[in-house]
Amino acid sequence: MRAFASMVYRQIKRFWRGKSRVIGAIINPLIWLVFFGLGWSKVFDSPMARQIFGGIDYISFLAPGLMTMGLFTASFISGVTVIWDKQFGFLKETLVAPASRKSIIAGRIFGDAFISLVQGFIILLFTFPLAKSLKISGFAPVLLVGFILSIAISSLGVSLSLKMASMEGFQMIMMIIMMPLIFLSGAIYPIDTMPKWMQYVTRVNPLTYAVDASRNLLLGISKFSLLLDFSILSIIALFFLATAMLLFERATIE
Amino acid sequence: MHAIVVENLTKRFGEIVAVNNVSFKVNKGEIFSFLGPNGAGKTTTIHILVTILKPNSGSAFVAGHDVVKEAREVRKKIGIVFQDPSLDTNLTAYENLYIHGGIYGYSSNQLRNKIDELLKFVELENFKNKVVKTFSGGMARRLEVAKALIHEPEILFLDEPTIGLDPQTRARIWEYIEKLRGEKDITIFLTTHYMDEAEQLSDRIAIIDKGKIIAHDTPENLKSMLGEDIIYINAENPECFDEDFAKDCKILEDGRIRISVNNASSAIPKIFEIAQKKGLKINNITYHKPTLNDVFIHLTGKEMRDKENSSQLMRRRFR
Repeated sequence: MRAFASMVYRQIKRFWRGKSRVIGAIINPLIWLVFFGLGWSKVFDSPMARQIFGGIDYISFLAPGLMTMGLFTASFISGVTVIWDKQFGFLKETLVAPASRKSIIAGRIFGDAFISLVQGFIILLFTFPLAKSLKISGFAPVLLVGFILSIAISSLGVSLSLKMASMEGFQMIMMIIMMPLIFLSGAIYPIDTMPKWMQYVTRVNPLTYAVDASRNLLLGISKFSLLLDFSILSIIALFFLATAMLLFERATIE
Repeated sequence: MHAIVVENLTKRFGEIVAVNNVSFKVNKGEIFSFLGPNGAGKTTTIHILVTILKPNSGSAFVAGHDVVKEAREVRKKIGIVFQDPSLDTNLTAYENLYIHGGIYGYSSNQLRNKIDELLKFVELENFKNKVVKTFSGGMARRLEVAKALIHEPEILFLDEPTIGLDPQTRARIWEYIEKLRGEKDITIFLTTHYMDEAEQLSDRIAIIDKGKIIAHDTPENLKSMLGEDIIYINAENPECFDEDFAKDCKILEDGRIRISVNNASSAIPKIFEIAQKKGLKINNITYHKPTLNDVFIHLTGKEMRDKENSSQLMRRRFR
């Protein structure tokens, strides 16, 4: 338990010291919201368009999606930074420690998830003045959704980087995994108007359920039931977390 | 009682045999060094001993426990300073030690005094709350030594503790290592490719080359293998001397003649006499007391250069 807490502490401290990372992770979704959201909002300001977005304005539709996207990006990147530790020794150090390796990596993942959550919350606060239809009552439960998503995604990042040999694959993985998952989650446009094959892919994308749950809690519109969203997200999170713990348990430096 | 017992240890990476059937024992409380050029298998051996690499065959016991079967028990009793730095450069000295201590299960209260004490030991108490990024290479190394000592290990592993540091800083790190032996009940296993470092610090040295231990004794005994003095002759058409005063004579790969003698000052005039008779043209002649470098040359026929592995240095700087 001490090892777990120490790792959470480390992740938070490290994050806090890397100020540019803090700002970058928050700015990116805000740029999307302002330049992309405001840019399109007039185009979509007709009764017919509103109907596509569930009867609300585009910025409000976009806001929960962008918060989820911000959380997703932040937690994926922090998970993948295990490869950095692998390259620069800290991983070796945790491997020679007598503490349970499972609790070490779980501590790291929970620390990262907590950080992503803080970022998500800040993004939400900034979107609030622009997105008029957001319900304040949804803020607290939406953070829970964010936390579960962050656990899932940062575990995924950790697992991938434990399997990656070097940092060279890093850029490619970011492109191949992150961008499509964001586009195929309904964060930026509704799922129902996508081509059929894309709609199928959205069903296996964990992000879809996080976006749907956030929209449900913040706007009251959704495609799936809240229970379904939570169940699927939790199962995925548990699965990825278990995978990451198992992979780390078996890790050697070879 | 031995701190480390290694028997017939072998580790392969594909075709390459990094550690080849190595056996040795380290006594409790001594400083034992692995001396050898880069790529000799030193780090691989350390990685096996600290349980993060599995051997292909052979066995290793550290603090009485099998490194493969009882890895967890071994981990409780060892501390290690890796060759590559493992500090969080964005955190302060205190935070680095605090997190490390936490991973080893110490509570905040236990750590507070311990960290102060250790920072004092490595003379970094004034840098307690400074971010490690601002530290010089030597300061970072000292902090790593402090970190490895937090959980009071029985055996401390130091993998190339002074690689890439300037001479003064190296001497300072040596002081800490010697102080450590004096003050704490600890066994130290260190690897190095610096002759002077091995000679200065070690009770016993194992010279390792291409994955094999080629000699294994106290520094004095290793050097006495070669007699009292060593003479190197640079000559055209070199050939060996088989007279009585030459205890051992060899023509080295670089063309020099190397002769071990009991007394160089009386042997050198004889050498000139004989050379003149033989028609051997001597360009220059040097002699000195044997060093570990001479021992290495004697055993392998080649020089062990203090050439730094450039990629390692690059990584250190990059951090």
